[in-house]
Amino acid sequence: MADVAGTEPIGGAVERRRLPLSGRAAFLLVVMLALLAVPLLYPVLVPYSYVLQLMTGAFMWVAFASSWNIIGGYTGYISLGHNVFVAVGAYFSAALFVYADISPFATALGAGLVCAALGVGVGLITLRTRGDAFIIATIALMLIAQIGFDNWMWLGGSSGIAVPPLQMSEPALVKVPFYYAMLAVAVGAVYLSYRIRHSRFGLGLRAIAQDEVKAEAAGIDTRSYKVAAFALSAVFIGIGGALWSYSLFYLRPEIFLAIGVAADMVLMSIIGGRGTVAGPVIGALLIVGFNEWSVSEFGSSELNLTITGALLVGALLFFPGGIVGSLRARGKLPRILDWD
Amino acid sequence: MDVLQIAILGILLGGVYALMATGLTMLYGVMRVINLAHAAFMIVGAYIAFVLFRDFGIDPLLSMVVTGPALFVVGVLLYQLLFKRIADNPRFTEMTVLLTFGLALAIEGILGSIFSNIYHSTEPSYATGTIDLGSVFIPTGQLYGFIASLVLLAALWAFLYYTRPGYAIRATMQDRAAAQIVGVNVDRISALAFGIGVGLAGVAGSLLSYLFTFFPGSHLQWIGLLLALIVVGGLGSLAGAFVGAIGLSLIAAFAIDQLGPEWSYLTFYVLLFVILLVRPQGLFGKAETI
Repeated sequence: MADVAGTEPIGGAVERRRLPLSGRAAFLLVVMLALLAVPLLYPVLVPYSYVLQLMTGAFMWVAFASSWNIIGGYTGYISLGHNVFVAVGAYFSAALFVYADISPFATALGAGLVCAALGVGVGLITLRTRGDAFIIATIALMLIAQIGFDNWMWLGGSSGIAVPPLQMSEPALVKVPFYYAMLAVAVGAVYLSYRIRHSRFGLGLRAIAQDEVKAEAAGIDTRSYKVAAFALSAVFIGIGGALWSYSLFYLRPEIFLAIGVAADMVLMSIIGGRGTVAGPVIGALLIVGFNEWSVSEFGSSELNLTITGALLVGALLFFPGGIVGSLRARGKLPRILDWD
Repeated sequence: MDVLQIAILGILLGGVYALMATGLTMLYGVMRVINLAHAAFMIVGAYIAFVLFRDFGIDPLLSMVVTGPALFVVGVLLYQLLFKRIADNPRFTEMTVLLTFGLALAIEGILGSIFSNIYHSTEPSYATGTIDLGSVFIPTGQLYGFIASLVLLAALWAFLYYTRPGYAIRATMQDRAAAQIVGVNVDRISALAFGIGVGLAGVAGSLLSYLFTFFPGSHLQWIGLLLALIVVGGLGSLAGAFVGAIGLSLIAAFAIDQLGPEWSYLTFYVLLFVILLVRPQGLFGKAETI
């Protein structure tokens, strides 16, 4: 009896390997092709701009949540100040655009690299602390960034700076470049997250999350690992921030440094499943969809923040593993969503 | 400005900061909870004081008899409904930070939808008065706030040092497991400590309501400031919070004089950052042993 039960999953795995393309890969391929095709439905898709903008926003949050998950999920270091990287990426590209006339599409990658460099610098300092002290340090970081951007007059200070909008010969198609660019950012962020999850590096990060002292004793250079994770988690947030800033006409620090932006990354990861690859993706899609619904139903109000807070409390109390974690614990996680 | 004048302003505000920080550090001491919603509860207290003043003409100092007990009850409920449930969680402190962060957001949203995001403050007659002492002056409102804070802190001190529940709270702060062994009902003591901690946020809110302007989102600046105070003093140390509050308030007062008011909060955040890195256990705290 025990033998049969023990061999069954192995047999299943062998069977699956015979397929030329696993179900999961086929699923992802279909999803990708469908996403690439959406903007081609120009005359059919109504309302075109609305749908593209909504999906672009969803891609951005998928990238943000997946990136946050590298440090907050895999490594177990909760950052409540990751929106600083959104702001830095946004203002980096916006400044080059406003003062040097270089398109943010060209500088977005640079914004990601700047954020990674900043991540190394900040990480070297803040990651000397751990646990609650680290969380406090990230809050302090965000508050310092708020004061910095609010008083940096070259970038408009707290009153903001205007960014010339993208001009296209066909105005209806103006959302299309943003759509594809942000899709690329989301795919890049999820791919990075996936690669880290399935690498020795990712294994080290998860060891740190489990027990940092033992990880250190096992020969992991915990300090370098943590700083690298922190820096990598900043890359796609910076790129996404740069593209986001170009889609706005007017930048103010509070757009990016509002506490809700930082909270949403955390909430999406936790609701979807912290420390899993698919969790932040699912969480981001759910929260973006939910926010869209609640805004259309009840209007945009301060209560959105209350809902965010209440969802966070509820998820922590009743679903600490998030959707992916809870389903997996019950053995009900569909294979196409099991990317770990 | 005159050095003596700056010192007076720094110390008066420092007393109020000490009252604000005491509840926060006490919860950490008793239960290892970093209550990121502490400042949000202060803002709730400030709005209660604001409504009482606007609609009933009740003086903000007097409103402390409402804000304190009201938030004491909130604190006890919070313990019973939320924190008791997760007391056995292996990642307890991390959980509490996220939970209280969620609470703070929820409170901010509710206050924002009731009062909208504009600045409020109560304006009792003494809020803008000054006592002239020749070369220096003492702002009346801040003096009253300072005295009220000291009276409340003295009462808390007497409670902690001369009553049995007070002993039990201090014992739990020193060593939770040992307190349990010698017969302290740490569950009830934690509920009491939660009540006192959040209740202190409530009375501090009454003072905040006329000493500062506030809006629903301003809890974030305050929690940053209060965390700086208690981290400097050593998380969980009551004496440390007091010394940290007076000390940082003095530093900030001189920083404002030199650099201008927009940088005053920056002093706290940068100090918070530096202390976390140089001496995470704070000036008065014990180093955590692994």
